[in-house]
Amino acid sequence: MVNLILNENMKLYRRWRTWIMVGLMIGAVLLGSIVEWYYDTKEAPEGTWQEQLTEENRQYAANLNDPDTEEENKTYIQRQMTVNDYRLAHDIRPESGTMWDGINGSAELVVLITLFTVIVAGDSLAGEFTSGTIKLLLIRPASRLKILLSKYISMLMFGLLLLVILFVVSVMVNGLLYQFQHMGLQLVTVDGQGQIVERNMFANLWQSYLLNGVSTIMFVTMAFMISAAFRSSAMAIGFSIFALFAGTLLTEFIRRYEWSKYVLFANIDLSAYLVGRPYQEGMTLAFSIAVLAAYFIVFNLVSWLVFTRRDVAS
Amino acid sequence: MSQEPIVSLRGVTKKIGRATIIDNLSFDVPQGEIFGFLGPNGAGKTTTIRMMVGLMSIGEGEIRIKGKNVKSEFEQAIRHVGAIVENPEMYKFLSGYHNLIHFARMIPGISKQRIDEVVSLVKLENRIHDKVGKYSLGMRQRLGVAQALLHKPSLLILDEPTNGLDPAGIRELRDYLRQLTRREGITVIVSSHLLSEMELMCDRVAILNKGKLVDVKLIGDFIGAGDASQTFLIEALPSERALAALSDMEGVGAVHRAPEGLEVTAERDRIPEIVERLVRNDIRIYGVRARQQSLEDRFLEMTGGEQIG
Ligand SMILES: Nc1ncnc2c1ncn2[C@@H]1O[C@H](COP(=O)(O)OP(=O)(O)OP(=O)(O)O)[C@@H](O)[C@H]1O
Ligand SMILES: [Mg+2]
Repeated sequence: MVNLILNENMKLYRRWRTWIMVGLMIGAVLLGSIVEWYYDTKEAPEGTWQEQLTEENRQYAANLNDPDTEEENKTYIQRQMTVNDYRLAHDIRPESGTMWDGINGSAELVVLITLFTVIVAGDSLAGEFTSGTIKLLLIRPASRLKILLSKYISMLMFGLLLLVILFVVSVMVNGLLYQFQHMGLQLVTVDGQGQIVERNMFANLWQSYLLNGVSTIMFVTMAFMISAAFRSSAMAIGFSIFALFAGTLLTEFIRRYEWSKYVLFANIDLSAYLVGRPYQEGMTLAFSIAVLAAYFIVFNLVSWLVFTRRDVAS
Repeated sequence: MSQEPIVSLRGVTKKIGRATIIDNLSFDVPQGEIFGFLGPNGAGKTTTIRMMVGLMSIGEGEIRIKGKNVKSEFEQAIRHVGAIVENPEMYKFLSGYHNLIHFARMIPGISKQRIDEVVSLVKLENRIHDKVGKYSLGMRQRLGVAQALLHKPSLLILDEPTNGLDPAGIRELRDYLRQLTRREGITVIVSSHLLSEMELMCDRVAILNKGKLVDVKLIGDFIGAGDASQTFLIEALPSERALAALSDMEGVGAVHRAPEGLEVTAERDRIPEIVERLVRNDIRIYGVRARQQSLEDRFLEMTGGEQIG
């Protein structure tokens, strides 16, 4: 099994394509961070952060008293004011203007990881069929299940590698840009119940990475299944990328139907529960995890069944 | 054949859709021989091989390799098999050497030394670190053979191995396969429709046609068979007069004019009389030779010639 994974990794990392993806990943982090830093320093607001927050709170208070403000906005404003008050009282500055602004911004790039891993996963199995090398792979004393599993594991390892690269590069570049000031800054937010929460920034960052990683895993598993079923890289990659971008859009249209909460894309963004805004009223984190687990099992079952049962002809 | 056969097929049948591609195949491949699968395009050679190596499921019947059932004991059955199925496809973006490392990793107990050994065996030392994408067909074929031999299999299955090899390469392969069987007791199964090749390479051939087994024969029995009456080629001038002289001769069958001379069907014993008669008629003789009916002719006879599939 270890040898099979070594093989998959060899096939992955001895290709230009893979390193171009790694390069693009690094490039995107660098570009995003530098651009953000540039505008951050150029358009820095005047005064200390304490003065800014005080000013912000004054505006919020005015908004709250305005009868035109909607209820939903009012809750948001109240939460912000609570956070600001807490910051002023405990002397914890906001992230903006520190390295954490850029680092947290770069976390959005997890979608790139999904994209690249899906491309690699879509090609990993189907590519063997297209090139005919699948025959040489299957006429060895390794079960088809193990071969499938080794490919799957190497895909997840690739995703993890990109995640580590994202983390290291974004911390390094933003650290350098902001001279590593405020590294120990605490994150201050309000939880679903309106209580103040103070958390370590690194822990928060990895939490958001891993929550996004769940969606990466789901898309990779789906690409893998299509790859096994249709034996066509183009189809697997194309369909998965389409789903990646159109999936969330689709869920917007069907939100009003009760059944839409069982759709994969309605559950794939687990971070919605952190900010207390689920896709539909009444959905819980446990519900979404259960739905995702069901899809995960079905996808893998289909991959396994079609891959181990079907003839390899032509 | 006192030994147990290395491969045995019993009632193997394969249907795809409604078409019966392989129809009730049963035969044994004896140990230590070079065994040929012979048949026209679409006869089912590749399909049979695919079932033997587990790429296709076996519809009905049973295939055993070294006594192990391919269906139920796949990993033990395939452990002793090295194969190329159709084209020798390799990872184009890897070097030949890394391709070998890749396949070596899939079977326990293959050393670096063994890899170097097979590389020099197929004479690829100079190009082994190049990307396979830059290889010629013949070089890929050699790498394919190397890959199949890595784990010292006791059964080597090669689907059309001479495809893409130059004459020297074919000869080398042939000699090498002979060595393998004679010296190391390996059994080799080759498929081909290049009949002349089989004649030189194989000890025994199974003839397939339209998914059915036509016959299994020792190659010697093949060529010698049907010997009673033979065709001889007689180079004699002037040919019209020679034709006339022989046409009414007793004990001589058909006489035709061929580009190289006269084609005469007769028993071997008749040759002296034929020559004598020609000489008496003042005809000059430049040569007389027997036209051996080749495996090819026999083969076409048996499979009914033209039609494919
Ligand atoms: N996947 C498939 N689906 C349907 N029919 C198939 C399939 N693969 C092969 N066949 C049919 O099975 C028959 C045998 O094919 P096979 O490839 O085994 O022939 P072959 O003896 O190897 O021929 P060749 O000398 O051309 O390589 C052919 O009639 C072919 O059309
Ligand atoms: Mg064939």
